Amino acid sequence: MSGHSEDPVAEESQRFFTFFNLSMVLVAITGLEIVIIYVQSFEGSTIIGVLFATSILKFIGVVWWFMHLRWDKILNTVLFLMGLVIALGTFFAVIFMADEHPVVEEFKVTKIEDDWKSGTDYKSGDFVAVDDKFYQASADHTADKNWSKDMWNEVSGIPHLISWKISTADLIEINSKRPENPFYYQYNPAQQDGIVGNRVAILDEEGKTEDFRIKVRSEAFWVENN
Amino acid sequence: MSDAAAHALDHHEPVTSTGIPNKKVLMWAFLGSDCMFFGTLISTHLIYRKISATVGGNFLDIRDVFDIELTSFSTFILLASSLFMALAVSAIHKGNLSSTRWMLLGTIIFGAIFLTCQVYEFTHFVYAPGNELTLSSYRGEPHVFGSTFYVLTGTHGTHVAIGVFWLLGWFVYSFTGRMSTAHAIDIECCGLYWHFVDIVWIIIFPVVYLMEYAF
Repeated sequence: MSGHSEDPVAEESQRFFTFFNLSMVLVAITGLEIVIIYVQSFEGSTIIGVLFATSILKFIGVVWWFMHLRWDKILNTVLFLMGLVIALGTFFAVIFMADEHPVVEEFKVTKIEDDWKSGTDYKSGDFVAVDDKFYQASADHTADKNWSKDMWNEVSGIPHLISWKISTADLIEINSKRPENPFYYQYNPAQQDGIVGNRVAILDEEGKTEDFRIKVRSEAFWVENN
Repeated sequence: MSDAAAHALDHHEPVTSTGIPNKKVLMWAFLGSDCMFFGTLISTHLIYRKISATVGGNFLDIRDVFDIELTSFSTFILLASSLFMALAVSAIHKGNLSSTRWMLLGTIIFGAIFLTCQVYEFTHFVYAPGNELTLSSYRGEPHVFGSTFYVLTGTHGTHVAIGVFWLLGWFVYSFTGRMSTAHAIDIECCGLYWHFVDIVWIIIFPVVYLMEYAF
């Protein structure tokens, strides 16, 4: 690679600074990796991307300078790369084998605000809004002419319908992004393909779809809406 | 001709038709094969981390067990040991036996600190109250994480231990009065092995430890 030095001892002395500087850079990069983890203000995929890039940088730094490939014959690099390429091939083949990422095809959170209407057939569990209050039917019945609380229980909160449609998953997790309006639900669907589901949530405050996160997992792959 | 080869020739080291000393070619070929070895171990860990992501019905959160401060410290120690190793190789090429000896000692001490941290870490993991991570279970529930984790990091630790004993051998040999620049290629091969152990950890640390904190 580099040419033969006239004075190998002098060149070895110069390498001291190369080694020292490289060592400081490696420490700084490792520190950066740890800080990124501690800060926790980046997306998971961003963090993985940064860790991947910094690891490659450190790897190249050590192999190229500490292990003298920078100054050695190309054959050593080839010998090492042969093993490395096979190792990387094995790695990617295994990691992406049978890879099927789940897809959140639909996710919606809507407030249930159907006004009570006389003559309507209500089923047990249905929700209605009357004078800014929300009620849940305690039994199947047909509404009278005038509003009466007899067949209804007042709910302490605002009912919302959360619905989802997912391509494939073995674990579904839904939670509110707003601490002041808490909600958490997790379940393992009985059927793992073409999942359609919904759930009524009584929330403290009115919520929108954007206020909620759905995370779905298929095998090891976690996918979430943002 | 490269410097390293020139040095080797200066030290009457037998070379192949490629102009590279036999020992060095052998070491690079070995390191290439060791790449495949660690490649399979890392792949195995990641694939099982993917397909066995829950334990007892809950998402496996290994951060309750990991002590990232300790592991970060031992990572810095291993990186620093690589600097000592590079300087030891540099010193023996220059014929400075005293400096070689000190740099070897520094590498040995830092390697030993890394091993001590790993032994402490493993002991801490296995006996962590409420979060016991054994070879076959996590928090008392059967799980494969411990198997792949201990085998991967344990194999790396074994490599470090072999490196420490190898360096210790040269350190002791340096007191016999028979050590000279003729042994530069031996120290260099030892250094290649040590740096390789370092780069394996450079991969293991983010992949096995830091990535657990990414989500």
